[in-house]
Amino acid sequence: MTSFLLWALVASGLAVVVVRRRSVVVAIVTAQALMLAVVALLDAETVDDVVAGGALALRAILLAALFAAVVARTRERRPVHARIPPLMRAGAAVLLALTLVWLVPEIGLDSRNAERAVLSLIAFGIATAGLRRATVLQILGIVLVENGLALAALELPGETASAAIEVGVAVDLMLISVVATVFHQRIFGLFGAGDTAALRALRD
Amino acid sequence: MTSREWLAVAAATVPALGAVLVSLAPRRFVPALGLLSAALASAAALALAVAALVRADDPVATDWLVVDVAAGLIVGIVGVVGLASVLASPVYLRSSPTELVRPERGARLYYGALLAFWAVLVSVPIAGNLGIAWLLVEATTAASVLLVGYSGRATALEAGWKYLVLTSLGLGVALLGIVLIAPSVEGGIGALSWDSLASIDEGSSRLSAAFVLLLAGLAAKVGWAPVHNWLPDAHSEAPPPVSALLSAALLPAVLVVAWRSDRALAPAVGEETAQALLVGFGLFSLAVAVPFLWRALTWKRLLAYSSLENMGVLAIGLAFATPLAIAGVVIHVLGHALAKALGFYAATPLVAHAPLAASHPASGIARTSPALGASLGISLGTLAGLPPSPLFASEVLIVAGGFSAGRPWEATAAAVLLALGFLGLGHVLLDVLVGKARRRTEGTPIGLRGVAAMTAVAAIALLALTALAPWLPNSEIVDALVNGAA
Repeated sequence: MTSFLLWALVASGLAVVVVRRRSVVVAIVTAQALMLAVVALLDAETVDDVVAGGALALRAILLAALFAAVVARTRERRPVHARIPPLMRAGAAVLLALTLVWLVPEIGLDSRNAERAVLSLIAFGIATAGLRRATVLQILGIVLVENGLALAALELPGETASAAIEVGVAVDLMLISVVATVFHQRIFGLFGAGDTAALRALRD
Repeated sequence: MTSREWLAVAAATVPALGAVLVSLAPRRFVPALGLLSAALASAAALALAVAALVRADDPVATDWLVVDVAAGLIVGIVGVVGLASVLASPVYLRSSPTELVRPERGARLYYGALLAFWAVLVSVPIAGNLGIAWLLVEATTAASVLLVGYSGRATALEAGWKYLVLTSLGLGVALLGIVLIAPSVEGGIGALSWDSLASIDEGSSRLSAAFVLLLAGLAAKVGWAPVHNWLPDAHSEAPPPVSALLSAALLPAVLVVAWRSDRALAPAVGEETAQALLVGFGLFSLAVAVPFLWRALTWKRLLAYSSLENMGVLAIGLAFATPLAIAGVVIHVLGHALAKALGFYAATPLVAHAPLAASHPASGIARTSPALGASLGISLGTLAGLPPSPLFASEVLIVAGGFSAGRPWEATAAAVLLALGFLGLGHVLLDVLVGKARRRTEGTPIGLRGVAAMTAVAAIALLALTALAPWLPNSEIVDALVNGAA
C-alpha cells in the first residue's frame, strides 16, 4: 500500500476522534473500510483473497446502512458534547498512538509506515471509545480498531490472509454492532440522547 | 469422524437449533421448548465431558477441534450450570419483566439469547484453532450482552454497554496479537491450530509482542485486573441465571483459550515470560479483588468481585503448572462453578425475601429464613475457602504447587492475599447469616424450593470434590493437563 493511502487512513482515523457529527463519522469509517477492501481485491491472487476482500467490502456497506439508519431514527436535538474539547482529544489520541508506536517493537508488516498506521488506527479507535460520550461514536471507535486490524492483515508479508477468519470477523463485528444499536436505541428512549454520561450509576 | 467429534458437534448444534426453534415457535411453547433444548444440550455436553475425561490420555486434536481434559471440564460445567440456569429462569422471568423489548417478546428474546450463548460458549473450549477460538469468544459477547441488559433498567444498560465496549476493545487487541503471530505459521491466519502454534520454534520481538497483546486482550474477557472493569457491573446487573453462566462457565472457557495460547507459545516466547505474565495477572487480580471482599456490597456484586479473585487464583495455578497446582486448578474451576452458580440462583429468593438486599448488603438472612441462609452460607463459605470447602483444598494445592515449582515468592504472595480474602469474606459471611435482620416479606420467597434442592445437590457435589482433592495430583486427568495442552 502506498504511503499516501496509509496517511489518508491515519488522517481520517484522527478525524473520527474530533469530528462532531455522527453521520460524518459513519461516512469516514465506511470510506476507510471500502478503501481497504478495494486494495485487498486489487492485490487478490487467490479465491480466498477475493472472498476476504469481499467480506470486508460487504461488512463496510452493511455497517454503513445499519449506522445510517440508527442515526436517522435517533436524531438528537443537538450533538452530544464530549467533556474534552476536540483539540485535547486529538492530542490525547496522538499521544496514545506515539506511545504504542514507541512501545511495540517491529511487528513484521510490509513496511514500518504500515506498522505505524496500524497502531495509530488502533490508538485512535481506543481514544474514540474512551473519550467520546455518544454511544454510536463509541461503537464506531471499535469499528475503527477493526479497520486497523484489517490493514494489518493486508500488510502482512506472504500468504497469510484467511477467508474464513475475515468472514468470521465481519460477522462478529456485525453482530456486535447490531446488539450495540439495540442498546443505543434503548438508552436514547430512556434518556432522550445516546449519551453514555447518563450511564454512571454503577460505582464502588 | 470419531464418536467424540460427533459428540462435540452435537454439544454445539443442539443448543443452536434450540435457539432457532425458540425464535420461530408460537409464544406459548417458548419456555417448554427452551427447557427441552436445554435438557438435550446438557445431555450432549455431559456425554462429551465424560468421553473427554475417560479418554484423558488420548485427546482428539485436529486443526478445527480439540476434545481433551480441559475441554471436557468446561463443557461439563456448561452442561450442568446451563441446565440449572434454564431451570431457574422461569422464576426470574415471572418476578422481573423486561423493559428492553416489548414484554410479550421477553421470554423469546431471553431463551433464544440464552441458548445461542450456550451454543457459542460450549464451542469455545473445543475450538482447535486460535483464530476460530477468537471468533467464538467475540461471539459470546454478542450473544450474552443482550442477556446482561435484559431487564432494560438504566443500570443494566450501563453494565451491558461497558461489557460490550471494553471486551470488544480488548478482543481487538487480542486479534492484533493473532495477526502478528500468523506469519510465524505456515498457512497464515487460517492455520493457527494449537499444534502449529506449539511448533513455532524461533522466538522474536514480534512474537513476544504478539503474545503479550494476545494475553492482555483475552484478559479483558477473562476478567483479570487491570482490565476487569466490566465484570462487577455485568455480573451484578445480569439476570441471576445468566450471571451464573457468565461467572461459572464463560470466564473459565476464555481462560482455557488463554491457557492453550500460553502453553502453545511458551517454547517460542520463553517459559519464564509465559509464566510471569500469568502470575502477574493472577496476583494483580487478587490484590485488586481483596479490598472489595472486605466491603459491604450487594450480594451479586460481592459474588462478582469474588469472580475476579477466583480468576486470579486460577491464573496463578496455571502458571505454576506442577501436578499439585494443576490439580488445584481442576478442583477450583469445578468448586467455583458450583458455589458461584448456587450463589447467583439464591439471589432471586433473597431479593424476594429481603427486598432491601437488591440495593444494600444482605444481612441476618439465616435468622429469618434458615433455608435461604443455608444456600447463601454454603455458597459464600465455599467461595471464601472455609474448610471443608473444595476451594480450601484447591488453594492449598495451588500454593504448594508454587513452592514445588520453585516460585516461593509468588506462592507466598498468593497465600497472603488469599488469607486476606478469606478473612474479608468470612466477615461478610457472618454478617449475611447472623447480622442485623432488616425488613422482610412474609411467606416462602419465590424460587426458594428450587434453590433449596439445588443447595442439597451442590453441597454433596462440593464435599465429593473435597474428597477427590488428595487423589487428583497423581491422576491421569492432571497428568494429561500437565503434559499436553492438546
